[in-house]
Amino acid sequence: MKYDFLDTDVLARLGAIPLESRFPMVGNVAGRHRSPHRGSSVEFAEYRKYVPGDDTRRLDWKAYARSDRYYIKEFEADTNLRAYFVIDTSGSMDFTSGENPSKIDFAKKIAATLAYLIVNQGDSAGLSCCNEKLHLEIPPSRRAAQLQHIFETLKDIEPTGETGLVHALHQIAEKTQQRALVIILSDLFVETEKLADALQHLRFRKHDIAMFHLLDPQEVDFHFERPHRFVDLEDGAVVVAEPNLIVDEYHEALREFLETVETKCHNVHADYHFLQTNANYEKVVSDFITSRLTKKR
Amino acid sequence: MNFLVPAALFGLFAAAIPVIIHLLNRRRFRTVKWAATTFLLKASRESRGKKRLKHILILVCRTLAIAALIFAVARPLIGNWLGWGGGSIETVVLVLDRSASMETREGDGSPSRREAVVNRIADAIKNMGSPRLVIIDSASGEIQDVPSPDVLPELTSTQATDTQADIPVLITKAIDYLQETKPGKSEIWVASDLQRSDWRPDDSRWLAIQSGIKALPTKTSLRILASGSEIIPNYSLELLASRRIEDDLLLDLKISRSEGESEASIPLTFSLMGARSIDAKRVTISGQELRLQKRIPLGEIQKSGYGWVGLQTDNNPRDNAVFFAFGEKEPVYSWLVAEDPTIEVADYLQRSAAPTGFERFSCEIVSPVQTTKINWSTASLIIWQAPLPTGAVASQMAEFVKSGGSAIFYPPEEPSTEAIFGISWGAVINAPDDEFFINGVWTRDDGPWQDGQTGTPLPVKELRSIKRRSIQGDAATLAEWDDKSPLLVRHIDGAGTAIFVGTLPDDRWSNMEYTALHLVANQRMIELGTDRLHAGYRAIAGSEKSQTQDDEVRSRLDSFEDYEPSLGPYRSGVYLLGERTVAVNRPNSEGELERINEESLEKILEDTPYSLFEDTKTKDDLISEAWKAFLVAVLLFMLAEAILCLQPRPSVVPVTNPSPAS
Repeated sequence: MKYDFLDTDVLARLGAIPLESRFPMVGNVAGRHRSPHRGSSVEFAEYRKYVPGDDTRRLDWKAYARSDRYYIKEFEADTNLRAYFVIDTSGSMDFTSGENPSKIDFAKKIAATLAYLIVNQGDSAGLSCCNEKLHLEIPPSRRAAQLQHIFETLKDIEPTGETGLVHALHQIAEKTQQRALVIILSDLFVETEKLADALQHLRFRKHDIAMFHLLDPQEVDFHFERPHRFVDLEDGAVVVAEPNLIVDEYHEALREFLETVETKCHNVHADYHFLQTNANYEKVVSDFITSRLTKKR
Repeated sequence: MNFLVPAALFGLFAAAIPVIIHLLNRRRFRTVKWAATTFLLKASRESRGKKRLKHILILVCRTLAIAALIFAVARPLIGNWLGWGGGSIETVVLVLDRSASMETREGDGSPSRREAVVNRIADAIKNMGSPRLVIIDSASGEIQDVPSPDVLPELTSTQATDTQADIPVLITKAIDYLQETKPGKSEIWVASDLQRSDWRPDDSRWLAIQSGIKALPTKTSLRILASGSEIIPNYSLELLASRRIEDDLLLDLKISRSEGESEASIPLTFSLMGARSIDAKRVTISGQELRLQKRIPLGEIQKSGYGWVGLQTDNNPRDNAVFFAFGEKEPVYSWLVAEDPTIEVADYLQRSAAPTGFERFSCEIVSPVQTTKINWSTASLIIWQAPLPTGAVASQMAEFVKSGGSAIFYPPEEPSTEAIFGISWGAVINAPDDEFFINGVWTRDDGPWQDGQTGTPLPVKELRSIKRRSIQGDAATLAEWDDKSPLLVRHIDGAGTAIFVGTLPDDRWSNMEYTALHLVANQRMIELGTDRLHAGYRAIAGSEKSQTQDDEVRSRLDSFEDYEPSLGPYRSGVYLLGERTVAVNRPNSEGELERINEESLEKILEDTPYSLFEDTKTKDDLISEAWKAFLVAVLLFMLAEAILCLQPRPSVVPVTNPSPAS
């Protein structure tokens, strides 16, 4: 395959597992996902009293025979899933300690694999990339050509600039009228309060949020032998530090940050996944999909 | 502090290496692109205080470790003798106490105090880089340059002597030397056992010493290495007096011991004319000292002779023997000053001084107005039975006693209101009818009425007196009447003795003639008084009399020990100096145990910078190199640095991956 971020074996192994939405989706075609509306699927939903104007074909005659009352038998409506991939393409996503893929590469693998699975199961997938602002948007589509479009876009992504993830999420929340699965892939180097607001905004719009929080192992371990001059990947700011002296404080700050982010995500019922780029992405995707099977609401 | 290799101290600049490396490291940082700068900035802001302090401590440890290493290489000198301030001394003037008491040692095989201190000073001088060493020893008092500290213990001027030391004189010489030669930084070291008789704290020269040290061109301090702070078991023998009485030699001996009160029996060895152990006698000592008189029959020896008396070897081999020499039999002159030479009592007293059959003994009677006849220079005893002398005669009497002569005073019939030696006659007291004055107690181990050699007491208890004259004044009472008033008193003045007897050997006074107590007292006083006339045969080690004069040649007569010609003038022994035979003994003051205490030392060196170092049993050198201590310091600093550098357990990574990459 001509895309580095796709592995056919992985796709083959994961193809059999359906990706479910945890919340009812509103789609424009029938699909395998629950809809908030009553439909004509085989899934029984409830009885309700007949009111004039109802389709008499949906009357349950057996119930009338038993109770001498008219009841309408309602079934669940199934619809398709609309998934938005939001990838942070700020400069910080380009960081790699050398041995592992950069955060952006890891994000591409996850996004591409999930997009393939989603489209292949008949759902729609779209892509949004953001750095200072939301600069690329591919609307969700369930057409086969959509995948090609997404893959080409992912291939050309070059991380640069500062993070505008919060603003981008607000924009997506505003623009996306129908319920969707919003999959965010970022290192989340943003202000956590503002991030929480953006997530709240998405949730308010009844979107199902999945958060892939990506960090490089070196960003977690912070293991350096000698003084270093750290140049910020986003704004070019320089910090000279002796890691040996500040490693404890660094770990404490990181721990506090991760706890805060995770808490904020849980508050909006986001599906939070913290990942280091040395992780097995197949397992990451597999765990993500299977965990959603049990998290349906 | 002093260093044997001071040039190595330039290496202290190397102590800056850790700081320089630290600063270079800070400049030679590696540049990395980083995403999580938010946490980095936060961590940098919070990483203050403890971490920074720890880092500084690590740097300090590294710096100090290098500094300590450099110090060790520079070989610093420390020690209880030089302390931390003795270095870069150009000249050391060593005042060495070579007195007999410095020969005390801790036991067989141990070095004497003198040997120990000399060896330690030699080591100290070597460790100091061998500054110029000048020695002034107490025996010769001469100033001598010591070419090398190695030869110090071998020098004649550091060998044992039987002399005493005059520390003020020696320090004065050292000051004069420094004043004349004007060397650079100097110190005066005094090695002594602080024996009070050697230091003479009452000597007025100490004031001159204080001002002398102050007036030196360079600041000079005094370092006193005191040994002998511990009392070591030792017996010492002293010869108090020796005189020839007819065919016998009388030796007055004193045995002292430094500690112990229990009764002990010790052997005495006598040697006469080279014949050793003519009489080995054990004597028993029960207190701190024992005085005894030894009578040695001279037998066929008609002319002069010599010998020695010795104790067994103990912790001071130099105080175990005394030497004596004697001349031919000489006339013994006594004089009787009687208020009435014609009466019977004068006859009794004369005969007691010159008994019949003792041809060489003579006693001439004079009246108080004929005292000009007395030949004071040859007299052994003056018997005075008359009102006490006054004026010039009293002065002659005082001088006579002071020089070693004996005087015995009997009560006159006539009233005597004058006093001599602070003693005067009181009123005549008669005993009540049919009663006598009898003796109460008397001293049986001392004085003219002491027991005989066999321990037999004199018949003092048989003395009956009907008339007596009271004795007034401050004197030692050797016998008293039963009513506690004095019967026999003694006054010692200089080398001589004066005795006052409260009654007369006269029927009108007492039965003393019958008891012969006056005879014994007079004869014993003659023995004492004769001693000074034999003084020509005795000398104190180191004294002028013990030195050869003019063309005299020294040779040693006794065989007590090997003769070392170079030490002859300072060693005890019997020497033939030209035609003189002289028995040389150590001064009796060397047997005194009293040391000058720190208060006295502080007083006599009031304004002088001095340091006192008491030598203890520890075998530490006077000065020692401290490089080992600095190496230990290096290790400690490195250990501390290692502990500080130990990384604490890595902080827990907040979240781990679901699984590592395959």
